[in-house]
Amino acid sequence: MPPLLEVTALRSGYGPIDVLHDIGLSVDAGEIVTMIGANGAGKTTTLLTVSGAVRVRGGRVAFDGHDLTRTPAHKVVSLGMAQSPEGRKIFPRLTVLENLQMGAFTRTDKPAIADDLEKMFGLFPILKERKGQAGGLLSGGQQQMLAIARALMSRPKLLLLDEPSLGLAPQIVTQIFDIIRDLNAKQGMSVLLVEQNARLALKVAHRGYVLETGRVTLADKASVLLNDPRIRAAYLGE
Amino acid sequence: MPPPARKPFGLSWEGGIFLALLLYPLFPMFERGLFAATGRSLGEQLPLVFIFALLAYGLNVVVGYTGLLHLGIAAFFAVGAYTAGIFSTAAYAFQWPFWVVLPLGALAAAGVGLLLGAPTLRLRGDYLALVTLGFGEVTKFTLKNVVGITAGSQGLSPINPPTDHPAWSDDFRPFYYLTLGVLILAALLLRNLERSRLGRAWIALREDELAANCMGLNPAKLKLAAFALGSGLAGLAGVLYATRLTSTADPNAYDFNRSIFLVCCLIVGGLGSRLGALLGVMLLVGFDNILTPIIDGAIQQQFPDAGGKIFLTFTGWRLAVFGLALILMMRFRPEGLFPSSRVKHELHPDEAVSEPVEPITMGKTTGEVAAIDGGKA
Repeated sequence: MPPLLEVTALRSGYGPIDVLHDIGLSVDAGEIVTMIGANGAGKTTTLLTVSGAVRVRGGRVAFDGHDLTRTPAHKVVSLGMAQSPEGRKIFPRLTVLENLQMGAFTRTDKPAIADDLEKMFGLFPILKERKGQAGGLLSGGQQQMLAIARALMSRPKLLLLDEPSLGLAPQIVTQIFDIIRDLNAKQGMSVLLVEQNARLALKVAHRGYVLETGRVTLADKASVLLNDPRIRAAYLGE
Repeated sequence: MPPPARKPFGLSWEGGIFLALLLYPLFPMFERGLFAATGRSLGEQLPLVFIFALLAYGLNVVVGYTGLLHLGIAAFFAVGAYTAGIFSTAAYAFQWPFWVVLPLGALAAAGVGLLLGAPTLRLRGDYLALVTLGFGEVTKFTLKNVVGITAGSQGLSPINPPTDHPAWSDDFRPFYYLTLGVLILAALLLRNLERSRLGRAWIALREDELAANCMGLNPAKLKLAAFALGSGLAGLAGVLYATRLTSTADPNAYDFNRSIFLVCCLIVGGLGSRLGALLGVMLLVGFDNILTPIIDGAIQQQFPDAGGKIFLTFTGWRLAVFGLALILMMRFRPEGLFPSSRVKHELHPDEAVSEPVEPITMGKTTGEVAAIDGGKA
C-alpha cells in the first residue's frame, strides 16, 4: 500500500530565496511522524508547502491518491488534510464555537458536524465551557486546544501540527500530547508533527526526520533517533 | 454567536432608529418647527443621509467585514450615478424607467468592482489602498474628460424621476420613503449575511488569512465577493443620489474627499458595525449639512457686522473641529462610538468577563511525556 503522504525532492521558498532544497518524506496511514531540526531548517515551510499555502517550486507532493503539487491550500482541506498552523492562529474575534465551525467550512453534512462538535467538546471540555467567548480571550493552552480541535473539525485523515507546545506550560503540553497520542491510537489518525522540543516529539512519534537547512539529513524510527548520539548531542542537549 | 445587542423594549437600537425614521414624516410639526431658523427641511436632508448610509454599508462590507482598506468607494458611487445618467436622461436613446435603472446601476458598479478586484485583490494592505485611491482619481478625471459620453463637468441631466406624479416634486415624502426603504432592505440583507457562512468567512479572512486558507477558505474568491457586494451597494446609492439631484452632478462630487469622508464615518461609527455605519453617517453628514448652517446662522445673528471674516463663521472652523474629533476618537475610543461586539471584545478585553486562572502546577508533572519536557526555548 502506498503511503498516505509522499513528498519527493521538494523544493520551495519565499521570494528570491529557496528554503527547502531537497525534502523527501512519507507518512503512512495511522502513523505519527515528526520533523525535528534547528530554527530555520525548514520545518514550518515543509508543512506549509505540503498543505499548499506556499507554492511548490520543484519535486512532488502526493496525498491519498491525489497529486497535490499544484493544488491550492483551500482545496487540500476537503481531500482530508488539515493544518494547525504555527502560533495557533485562531480567529480572535470569532467565538470558540464559530472558530470550530470555521474548521468545518468545507463540509456540508450538518448533522455530522454537530456530532463532531460534541466530540470536540468531549475531547476538550474547557472549550465547551468557553464556547460563547471570543477566541482571543482564551489562554495560550486553551487556544492551542482550540486550534487542534478546529483542524479536527474537517475530519482529516492527516493532521499537520506545527509547534503545538509553543509557549505553553509543561502540564498543558502534556495534556495536548496525550490527546494527540490518543487520537492516533484510538482513531488511527495520521499526524505530521513539527516540534522544537525534539525529545518530546520523538517520544510520541513512530518515525522521525531530521532537517538541516532545507534537506533531510537523517530518517529513522523515532526510538532509534532518540538514542542516536549525534541527535542527543545536537538536539537533545546532552 | 456574538453576544446579542442590548434591546430596550424588545427592539434593537438599529430597529428603533429605523422605526423613528419611518415615523418622522407623520409628525409635520417637527418638519416645520425644528429647523425653521435655517430655512432647511430635515425631511429633505435625511434622504441624503440615507444615501450616504447606503454607501457606508457598501464600504463597510469591504473595510469592516473583510478588512481591505478601500479608499476609492466614490468611484463606484459615480458608476451608479452615471449609469442613471446614461440610461435615463434624454441625451441617450435608452430613457429606461427608474425601476430598471436602479438595479442596473448596482449591477454595473458590482461589475466594475469585479473588474478592478480580479487583478488587484492579491495585493495586501497599503498596496490595495493605493490602487483603490488611484482608481478613484482615474475615474473622476475620466468622467471629466470624456465629455462626449459624460458631458464633462456639466453632468448629465435631467434624470427622469421614478414617477410623473406631481407629489414627487412637491413633497419630500416619496423620495424619503424610497431611500429609507432601500436602506432598510440593505440593512436586512447585511444582517443576514453577517450571520451566514459567507459573513463568518469574511471575518475569519480579516482575522488571519493564512489560518482561513488552512480551513479551506478561498481568499481570492471571498475578497472578490466582498468587493462586488460593496461596490454594488455603492452603485445603488449612486443611482439614488443622481435621482435626487436630477443630474449626475459635477465629477468632483465623486472625488477623494468623498471616499475619505466615508471612511471617517465608518471609523467614527465603528468599523464592521451596521449601527456604527448608520450613526457615523448621521453624525458627520448631520454635522456638515444641518448643524453647521444652524451655528453659522446663530453666529451671524450675534455678529451682524462680521463682514465675511472667515474665522467668524463656523464653516471656517468646520474642518478643524472635524480633525480634532477624529484625533480624540483615536485616543479615547478607537473602536468607534457604536462598535460591533467583536471589536469591542478585542480592544477592551479587561471589560469582558474575566476568565478563571488555569491551574498550573509547576515542578511536579504527570505522565511520561511531561517528565522529559524542559528543553523548550
